[in-house]
Amino acid sequence: MKKTLLVILFFLLAVPDALGGEGISIQDPWVRQNPPGTSATAAYMVIENRSAAGDELVDVSCECSSRASLHLTQTSGDSMVMRKVNSIAIPAGGKATLSPGGHHVMLEGLSGEMSKSVVLELEFRSGKHMRVKAPVVSPRDTEVHDHHHH
Amino acid sequence: MKKYYWPLAALIFIALAWLGILVFLSTDVGNFHGDEYRRPAFDFSLTDHRGDTFSLSSYTDKIILLNFGFTNCPDICPTTLGMLGKVLDIVEDERIMALFITVDPDRDTVSRLGAYVPFFHDRIVGLTGPQQEIKRINDACGTFYSKEPGDSEQNYSMVHSPAVYLIGPGGEMRFRYPAEKLEPQKIADDVKRLLM
Repeated sequence: MKKTLLVILFFLLAVPDALGGEGISIQDPWVRQNPPGTSATAAYMVIENRSAAGDELVDVSCECSSRASLHLTQTSGDSMVMRKVNSIAIPAGGKATLSPGGHHVMLEGLSGEMSKSVVLELEFRSGKHMRVKAPVVSPRDTEVHDHHHH
Repeated sequence: MKKYYWPLAALIFIALAWLGILVFLSTDVGNFHGDEYRRPAFDFSLTDHRGDTFSLSSYTDKIILLNFGFTNCPDICPTTLGMLGKVLDIVEDERIMALFITVDPDRDTVSRLGAYVPFFHDRIVGLTGPQQEIKRINDACGTFYSKEPGDSEQNYSMVHSPAVYLIGPGGEMRFRYPAEKLEPQKIADDVKRLLM
């Protein structure tokens, strides 16, 4: 009996990780609700890489928008600019944090008002694909440097 | 032996009193969260998100939190506006006002700002106007903005200041909050102290 419980426990703990795609896992995904009249917004998350090999996020898509791309907001002194990046590196045994004022997924051409959550499709250099459900969070509930406040 | 206690007690009392005065001075005068940013008072006239003329000189009795941005900015501008909304909620005083001045007046029309700005807080005022005037306000704040070309003529971005500027009563610039200091509670504490 004890053994069976242990085996069940093992699978309960191990399976979600395996679904997460061999060492890559996504924590705290969220997307900012777009203000009225705008058709672009940003999505954020923490991507953790527990494997021994580095990886890169190379592409994102969302059925909520006609375009999705990887961006970086750069602040130097008194000027701030947003630039498109081709990939976001996730070092072996490390993580990449996508947060306001840093790396983010830019969603453009949103099809109307966003629902409670959206599904993001992530593609990695290693060939891994992941689907992530990201809750839609009001800008009134988020802050600068607040990585996963929701 | 007992008579020695009184001078000792008096000395301790005086030392504690001095300590109290020092603590009071250090918290009340120093220790504002924002970066001290003294600049000469200036005035400007723009159109607000309801279509009315807005002149800064009409609000010299208020504390003003000023921020530059544009509505096509998906990352930082909505974050900063959400933060400013929180400051207004925390302070809850008619003597504080938050302004969002667009650096992209070509796309940010009155109606666009009218849909966008109230979403964050009904007491944030969105402002647009001629490029020249917006550039002059940036100069007065000691900052700048420019167009960052995108993949099409319509799909461009803007380089601009991420900071929030605090203009004190009388129209004098007092503090600047750079990106890493945009914390609502701390800005609200500064505002409350100025309102005391």
